[in-house]
Amino acid sequence: MSRKAEPAARRIAILGNPNAGKSTLFNALTGLRQKVGNYPGVTVEKKIGMCDLPSGQRAEVIDLPGSYSLQPASPDEMIVRDVLLGLQEDTPPPDLIVFVVDATNLDRHLYLALQVIELGRPLLLALNMMDAAAAQGLRIDARALELQLGVPVVGISAAKGQGLDMLRALMDRDVEPSGRHFREWPLHLQRVLSRLEERLPSRAGLPDRARRDLAVALLLDHGEDEALARHVPPGALADAHMLARRLDEFSPGWRSGDVQGRYEAITVLLEAAVVTPGARRDTRREGIDRVLTHRVWGPVIFVVLMGAVFQSVFAWAQPVMNLIDFLVRWFGNIIGHAMPVGPLRSLIVDGVIAGVGTTLTFVPQIAILFTFLCILEDSGYMARAAFIMDRVMGQVGLSGRSFIPLLSSFACAIPGIMATRSIDNRRDRLTTIMIAPFMSCSARLPVYALLIGAFVPNRWVGFVTLPGITLFSMYFLGIVAAIVVAWVLKRSILAGGRPLYVMELPPYRMPAWRSVFSTVRERSLLFLRNAGTVILAISVVLWFLASYPKGSDAVRALEAQRQTAVLAGDATNVGEIDRRIAGAGLEHSYAGQVGRFIEPAIAPLGFDWRIGIGLVTSIAAREVMVSTMATVFNLDNAASDVQPLRQSLREATDSRTGKKAYTPLTGLSLMVFYVLACQCMSTLAVVRRETNSWRWPVFMLVMMNAMAWLASFAVYQGGRAMGFGS
Amino acid sequence: MNATRSFDRDGERALDELAAGDSAVILSLDCEPAIARRLMELGLLPGTAIRLIRRAPLGDPIEITVRGVHLSLRRSEACQIHVTQG
Repeated sequence: MSRKAEPAARRIAILGNPNAGKSTLFNALTGLRQKVGNYPGVTVEKKIGMCDLPSGQRAEVIDLPGSYSLQPASPDEMIVRDVLLGLQEDTPPPDLIVFVVDATNLDRHLYLALQVIELGRPLLLALNMMDAAAAQGLRIDARALELQLGVPVVGISAAKGQGLDMLRALMDRDVEPSGRHFREWPLHLQRVLSRLEERLPSRAGLPDRARRDLAVALLLDHGEDEALARHVPPGALADAHMLARRLDEFSPGWRSGDVQGRYEAITVLLEAAVVTPGARRDTRREGIDRVLTHRVWGPVIFVVLMGAVFQSVFAWAQPVMNLIDFLVRWFGNIIGHAMPVGPLRSLIVDGVIAGVGTTLTFVPQIAILFTFLCILEDSGYMARAAFIMDRVMGQVGLSGRSFIPLLSSFACAIPGIMATRSIDNRRDRLTTIMIAPFMSCSARLPVYALLIGAFVPNRWVGFVTLPGITLFSMYFLGIVAAIVVAWVLKRSILAGGRPLYVMELPPYRMPAWRSVFSTVRERSLLFLRNAGTVILAISVVLWFLASYPKGSDAVRALEAQRQTAVLAGDATNVGEIDRRIAGAGLEHSYAGQVGRFIEPAIAPLGFDWRIGIGLVTSIAAREVMVSTMATVFNLDNAASDVQPLRQSLREATDSRTGKKAYTPLTGLSLMVFYVLACQCMSTLAVVRRETNSWRWPVFMLVMMNAMAWLASFAVYQGGRAMGFGS
Repeated sequence: MNATRSFDRDGERALDELAAGDSAVILSLDCEPAIARRLMELGLLPGTAIRLIRRAPLGDPIEITVRGVHLSLRRSEACQIHVTQG
């Protein structure tokens, strides 16, 4: 960006099927000089890097998402189509396409290659994994392929860095487009396409035949493609659909005629260019699969692996989170001592630094989870996990791909929601995002523990304890709610045509540590940059609500008492008064006023204004409820022992009636509320980021809180009607 | 759906009726045009050899291999793909 005077860098796109080794090649070409962002309006990752070419020229390399076809079936494939057809405003069509194919699997990988060659753009074909092909006894005649395809062909091994100099030299040259066609549309289809073409404007920077390609895309569209609709004159899309319906009627099979044509061309091509050693079997793969997808051992290994992943996110993240928490407090103290007492110090220490701390504490969980997910994905196990779980998730209208994000959400919904990117079906992904926060996350555990300890008697029922059953019921309630919501969403706003669940089961490979590392780094940075800013802003607002207005009469009276106690040298009394000042301050703050203001709305659930304050501060993070309640009850809010707080909750009285404020039924109602309510600002921030709109987080907030209110209402009022109210 | 899978002469059957390890040749795809196109783009063309590798532990989906690629396919789609072992 700094050297504007240079001519615009050559734009080169890397393209290919998933598992062709595109990202490995991208990393090898660009090193760590990469920029990761999103395509506007969608959450498809946009990776751009810089590469030096032998002539000294620099090239901007873009790693396009893996794709099977130019007729898109997922948001990823739609981006590829849009970039190549010039429909993507922020990413003009590349000057050169480096098409990567797996040399051990030319048959299938060449299909998209032929589709792209037919577009008539400068393209060179990189035969990746040539080392593996040689090991299998495959002999590939690159020269014969060049002649047949009309594009330069180079053999490489991206993982071992072989052939990359040759590739770079070719990337430096001007490549003539092939102009080859590998199938012809029948005459009647050509006429239909010409008619459509006439209605489309020609676009600058693209060969004239790009209109024909767009016409093909229009004709094959099945009505779900928003990008297409945006880029054609009104009416053209409707015309295309009408023509397609008529063709369906009179010329069945027309939609796949070109597919057949290309595969026939590939067969001829491979006969001329490839010598296969005859039928071979991948015995290593077969051996691993026989165990990992075995009827009995498959699920057993899956459960053990998932348990290990889950446990590590839970257990390994905790010490790091504690360390971050400690460092943030320590830093806050240093700043606190360096600054004069006053509102600015409070803003910086209790608002900004605390907000940064909240954001940072999510990073260990995100980093650990994504390290595991990335290893599982790159090794090929993730596809097997989805294969094993597909039947189960299919029951609620999802696919096996949704399982791991949901499981992760039991640790924390933030990394769980971020992990939904591996779900290629848009509706499934949104459904998974919407139900992820129902999984009881680790931040709810301190709240459950506080309330169970306060209100559930430690009694044995059969061979389990009552607290145990209660805790289990809370987790179970969340799962049931998720199933119900998924079921409803898939039949209402996220209903759609029956999707095709077909998934490649890739060969097992050793994960490349560098790519694992860079994925984890990218995910963490993206979270900090995008969700982090929202979390920080809300933290500052919450700080304001809990700290202002200052100087209520009650606080001033207590401060006078404190002065007397200090003069008398009564240290224990000073501590006691300090806690009461904090309590009174919170009570009279805006947060306290909000607590009182919402009391009429939450009274039917059995909650008073004190719990109301806890609900407000829980927006920062659910576990903040515990320390807030401690402040409200004039206890030391940093104490790790929650016994005094449990006792305070049990003994709290209603100042108007003098009766007990909370009963076990209140505790149960409050726990149910915490299971179902959407309170976590970080979740909302990450949903906003992952769905690229405020629509979904707002919907989530309204839906979950309505469900929480209704469920708690039913528990509390139902319980009272049955006589459990005291 | 059931009407299309009743025939069993000359070794013709639906893909999901193959036993694990069985090979066959694809005859036709009886699904919605858009889904048929996608499956064909992934290599499942009439006349192509296909093998059912295994069923998932819970019976669905199935793993097949075609043109050197392994794919997982739900039985709801597999039952619309006709193959012959003859």
